[in-house]
Amino acid sequence: MSRKMISRRDFLKVASIAPLAGAFVPSLKAVGPAAGEKARVVLVRDANALDASGAPRPEVIQRMLDDAVCALFDTKDPAAAWKSTIRPEDIVGIKTNSWTELPTTSAVEQALKRGVMSAGVPEDKLAIDDRGVLRNPVFKNATALINARPARTHHWAGMGTCIKNYIMFVPAPSDYHADTCADLAKIWSLPHVKGKTRLNVLVVLTPLFHSVGPHGYNKEYTWPYGGLIVSRDPVAADATGLRVLLAKRREHFGQDRPLPMTPHHIFLADTRHHLGASSEDRIELIRLGRQEGSLI
Amino acid sequence: MIAQSRPSAGPMAGFIPRTIGPWLSEADHVYDAETIFQYIDGAGEVYRSYNMKLLVSRRFHKDGRADIVVDFFDMGSSEDAFGVFSHDLDGDDAKIGQGSNYKAGLLSFWKDRYFGSVYAEEETPETRAAVLDLGKRIAAAIPRNGPAPKLLAFLPPEGLDAGRTSFFHNHSILNYHFFVADGDILLLEQTASAVLASYETAGVKSRLLVVRYPDEAKAVRAYESFSRNYSPEAGRAGLVRTGDRKWTASARAGDIVIVVFNAESEMAAMNRLAAVESLIGEPGPPHT
Repeated sequence: MSRKMISRRDFLKVASIAPLAGAFVPSLKAVGPAAGEKARVVLVRDANALDASGAPRPEVIQRMLDDAVCALFDTKDPAAAWKSTIRPEDIVGIKTNSWTELPTTSAVEQALKRGVMSAGVPEDKLAIDDRGVLRNPVFKNATALINARPARTHHWAGMGTCIKNYIMFVPAPSDYHADTCADLAKIWSLPHVKGKTRLNVLVVLTPLFHSVGPHGYNKEYTWPYGGLIVSRDPVAADATGLRVLLAKRREHFGQDRPLPMTPHHIFLADTRHHLGASSEDRIELIRLGRQEGSLI
Repeated sequence: MIAQSRPSAGPMAGFIPRTIGPWLSEADHVYDAETIFQYIDGAGEVYRSYNMKLLVSRRFHKDGRADIVVDFFDMGSSEDAFGVFSHDLDGDDAKIGQGSNYKAGLLSFWKDRYFGSVYAEEETPETRAAVLDLGKRIAAAIPRNGPAPKLLAFLPPEGLDAGRTSFFHNHSILNYHFFVADGDILLLEQTASAVLASYETAGVKSRLLVVRYPDEAKAVRAYESFSRNYSPEAGRAGLVRTGDRKWTASARAGDIVIVVFNAESEMAAMNRLAAVESLIGEPGPPHT
């Protein structure tokens, strides 16, 4: 073992062990945005995002996404926001997540599709896919990627994240399972992915804050948060989503209850792989819409 | 994904009823340790870490009602069936098989070399009854019990929360239950077997870890690694006071390494170590 291990005792020296899983490595040397810069993250919520059955309302989701990209790109017009990051000649893959129990949802996918098309991309130059991205001709030729997935706890990686959503860009996902998915961010430097991602949307409409059973899903551990976390920086988006999940776990369980599997891939994406910013002090969080119950 | 693997799914499938009340079963899906990711993505690593052999998944459907899903695992040994069951101990004892939990529509149980999960996609009084009935019928169909991990016998009973003991083989699962270090400083390496137990004495909660290695030489290296990385200032007694003003003590006895975490006092830590050593049957200074 060549590197210094971080042990339970290291945390006991400085603080309670309780926030351990959530704040695993940010004490290491920080990298990401240049000094003085922050990664912008927009948290947009709407009390009407979901209908009585819990399904997303497409028109509300569209409005939330429009507001988010305007805030993210400092524009007043959603199309202008999209045009600032997508060119008409781009070939665009929208990487979604089709997990049966908690998918990205069609409402989010279609809102993103409309946004991309508002930048001038013809419909035949964009595709929405998850498990077929390596075979999808649009994704194979993509010049730009949009990344959207729901936030959830995960039995192995700790959390299902924007970073993790790109695991379908490798032929053998299990190759990245070592050390509870510590180095998922490596995927983002593969030639067919690197530098192409223009937007990340961590869907927090009905996040899953606790995993049980083989499938890790139980509706009891979801709640109608009614939000989207939108950022150009996947690490910052995920770190923000993690704060929401940990806060919900604290509220639900009545005590700090760290994620059992440490989602250290988020922090290592920052400290080891330099993909983005994970620490709160390097994230500019813009809050839009409903504030009640935001938890963070 | 129909069966393509080594152990036959036939006998396992035979343990699962074809119907449950008004629900009818759909076609079985069978996965092995290589294909499980197609069914439950990266979380399949949990089952692989317990050496799973085969999974038979059967969905029960009835129009107008929530589906019920049975995931029935052959873990290869009763120790690992217990182990994967012990991975998630939340819930109420449903008194099914050799150990069970039920919470919010999810039943987990183990018996012999099998681990079963029965899950209703929505919990109602009707689905709850169906889930429990399915579990009982599956467990009853398994012809025999299997032994629990032998390491459980080395846990001193005084103060033990017997329903919270976990069994595992690697440091990721150890950290799931109780974070020790971000690396495998105990050299579990999927070749060791370990139990992590919870104790409460006078309102103070502590943990006891007992690890058995494939041989004594490996235990020696593991103990040295743990001592070097976790408690380098400890003396021969392996005793240190940690930042939370509690005590950690460790020892090796043959091919077994013992660690007491979070003991309320030096004496409590040493007494628990001694109690384990006594149960192992190798009293006396274990340190080399």
